[in-house]
Amino acid sequence: MAMQEGRTFGLETAAEDLAPEPYDTGKRTRFKVPNGLAIMWANRKSRTGLILLALFVVVGIFAPWIAPYDPRAGIFMPLAPPSGENWLGTTQLGEDVYSQLIYGTRTSLIVGILAGGLATIIGLIIGMIAGYAGGWVDEVLSFFINVFLVIPTLPLMITFAAYSPIKGVTTVIIVIGVTGWAWGARVKRSQMMSLRERDYITAAIFSGEPMWRIVFREILPNMTSLIVAGYIGAAGAAIGAEAGLAFIGVGDPLTISWGTMLYWADNSGALLTGQWGWLIPPGLALALLITALTLVNFGVDAISNPHLREE
Amino acid sequence: MAVLEVKDLNVSYMTKKRPPFHAVKDANLTIDAGEIVGLVGESGSGKSTLGTAVLRLLDPPGTITSGQVIFDGKDITRASEDEIRPLRWAEMSTVFQSSMNALNPVVNIGKQFKDVIEAHTNMTEREIERRTAELLEMVNIDPSFSRFYAHELSGGMKQRVAIALALALQPRFVLLDEPTTGLDVVVQQAILDNVKRIQKEFGFAVLMISHDLGAIMEIADRVAVMYQGQLVDDQPARDLLLRPKHPYSRVLIGSYEDLWQPASGSAAEDASSDASGQPITRAFGGKAPVDIAARHGMDADETRMLGMDDLQAIAEATAQDPAVVRAPAEASAHEAVMVIENISKHYTRRRGLTKTRVDAVSDVSFTLRKGYITALVGQSGSGKTTIGRLITGIEKPDSGSILFGEQRVDQFARRDLKEYRRHVQLVFQDPYSALNPAHTIVHTLTRPLANFMDVSGRAARQRVAEMLEQVGLTPAEQFIDKYPHQLSGGQRQRVVVARALLSEPEIVIADEPTSMLDVTIRAEILEILNRLVRDKGIAMLYITHDLLSARALADEILVLNKGRIVEGGDANQVISEPQHDYTRLLLSSIPNPFAEGLVAD
Repeated sequence: MAMQEGRTFGLETAAEDLAPEPYDTGKRTRFKVPNGLAIMWANRKSRTGLILLALFVVVGIFAPWIAPYDPRAGIFMPLAPPSGENWLGTTQLGEDVYSQLIYGTRTSLIVGILAGGLATIIGLIIGMIAGYAGGWVDEVLSFFINVFLVIPTLPLMITFAAYSPIKGVTTVIIVIGVTGWAWGARVKRSQMMSLRERDYITAAIFSGEPMWRIVFREILPNMTSLIVAGYIGAAGAAIGAEAGLAFIGVGDPLTISWGTMLYWADNSGALLTGQWGWLIPPGLALALLITALTLVNFGVDAISNPHLREE
Repeated sequence: MAVLEVKDLNVSYMTKKRPPFHAVKDANLTIDAGEIVGLVGESGSGKSTLGTAVLRLLDPPGTITSGQVIFDGKDITRASEDEIRPLRWAEMSTVFQSSMNALNPVVNIGKQFKDVIEAHTNMTEREIERRTAELLEMVNIDPSFSRFYAHELSGGMKQRVAIALALALQPRFVLLDEPTTGLDVVVQQAILDNVKRIQKEFGFAVLMISHDLGAIMEIADRVAVMYQGQLVDDQPARDLLLRPKHPYSRVLIGSYEDLWQPASGSAAEDASSDASGQPITRAFGGKAPVDIAARHGMDADETRMLGMDDLQAIAEATAQDPAVVRAPAEASAHEAVMVIENISKHYTRRRGLTKTRVDAVSDVSFTLRKGYITALVGQSGSGKTTIGRLITGIEKPDSGSILFGEQRVDQFARRDLKEYRRHVQLVFQDPYSALNPAHTIVHTLTRPLANFMDVSGRAARQRVAEMLEQVGLTPAEQFIDKYPHQLSGGQRQRVVVARALLSEPEIVIADEPTSMLDVTIRAEILEILNRLVRDKGIAMLYITHDLLSARALADEILVLNKGRIVEGGDANQVISEPQHDYTRLLLSSIPNPFAEGLVAD
């Protein structure tokens, strides 16, 4: 994720300087500027990602209709191997693994959307203020950014999650959001510092614009693709973190998620008993979802950098 | 014998989404051994595309669709990368505009020469060192500089190192793509002199691409003119000046020629006659096609889309069009708006253990007057931009005073500054970064109205439309809701001018407002600035490195060198009778393609 963001940032400015001649001749070549989605769709990687992601979203939304059984209903023989009735076998409590897999999509998507969003918002606010204000404000905020960057995130998350009084998805979302914002803040701070020097910002100051307008109306719109890329990256990281926490056992073991499925599968020795249907599909689904998000980000990169566009 | 032959070359940018863009159409060009050929044209004319195609450096989606590139008798149009690689640098090399930034920042200069020479020859360490020293001396850089890193050299030096590096293996052909653009005239002159001398000595062939006819004329034996992807003219440099074949070459030469025509100071017109809509200017005369086009209700970009017949007609019309002559206004007739007295500003740089003091501005005094244009001329690093910053209050002088009416700008608190900004507005250099790409023109332009004049909604839109009409974006409705990327460079710069004028300022500071624009559009923007500033009685400070454009526009010229004003006075007088050596140096560094040509006539 960090790499992804770094790349977007670095090339964005370069793209403006190096745009090939035929594209910036303005009026003479009356090309319609393609909108963001069209550019992403034109990019093969990102198109694959979008299709994959859409698939997961559909599965998540329509889980009750797609899943054959109630994922919590222990109505089958426990620890059964895959069969015509239970496609991926059953759990130690006799629940249907396939139905759990379907419902688990919901948890992952929700965590991704909310925890990724939380991390992005915290990072955005802190990064923008640090970048625009400069001086001692920047010093103080950068100090906190750096602290959060060097603290190993996983132990911190485990500590927070283990000691939190209530267990549940909400706790996990907050823990991930609060620990995962630092990279985004760092990237947005540098982007802010670069955009702040543009002539149009000086022009806005000379148009009498107050500071908040300059930050939110003049600079923010020019960071959109960076923010979106950062958000998608953060969402992917959050999904991975949730699965990790659940697998270690510090999440809420009663939530149905791919992480808790892996946790229970591991606890029941699924690997030893050869219950591959309980182990591999959740892991694979996780990998696929995070891959989908990464692929989508290639398209977002292409929006901010015309050189990466596939046309 | 021809080193390079280009036969019926076509280059297109092919994309799936958009119609293919034909950047180069049926180009034919031959460059003989030891010949310097210049290639001129405005931005977007395809000259750089032709250059990169010749070197086989085109990036997709750019492709050679037909034709041939023959280098040294060998067809390299379809040669594979492996076949071309040994030729690059050893046989054909290049210096780009940004070559100076292409120097590796983490490796010293000597090592970069070593890398290049080692890769292509079997020289020993000692030989490489000697060769590097030779190469650096060739471009007038002391060999001891090979220990230095790129950031320790000035822009001009970096570019000279880049040239030396391109010549390291004694190539037979060198492509110079805008090698001096972005450097100031004195440095440009030094580099062109260098190239000329080295070329004579080693006899390689050169293709020099530039939008600056003056720079090309300085060194080229033969000049090709490119217009809308086609090579429309190709003849010996002198002949091109005297007998341009294509209307576009005529227009191009016309706009330069006018720069050199001495201004007539006898016509004692006052400023009000300019305000009556008469085109200025002494320098740009009537020959710029845009002037004529503007009178026919077209703008420059449309002019560029004209067919050949139209251009022909315009060129003929202009030939009979007498240049309007304007004498500089009398200073005393104009009320002083801002009085700057003995301001100084220094910066301290700390490098390692030593502190160095840089005097950016020393003891500078001048006055800005209503409806009067003062030009501040100097090289980069002369302190002219710092003076601009001091006047706007962004920075405070160490000593001296800046009086705006009764107020001391140098003592303003933050809150005073905000109010003060309404009275002082800026016109920026780069039209591509001066407008926020995220907002429409109308949004950008209504902000100063809302903040300073308390005008919003429909009334503001009305005012914006009027202002757009005044800067020549007519009909305003066609531009008002557009985004900056939908406008050309010239149109954007007009929007920038409009924004500066909307809050009805007393002072406008224009920092190199035309240096990023095509030659043919420059005259237009200066024309607009001139008209509006005089119409509205604004005091303008025109900051530039270009003495000739200063004469075209300004009433008074101040020549700045190392933070000091070395000469100042009536615009015509400073140019025609320069008193100070530095002014003479600046003047003599401006390439004058007509000096020889006119004598020969």
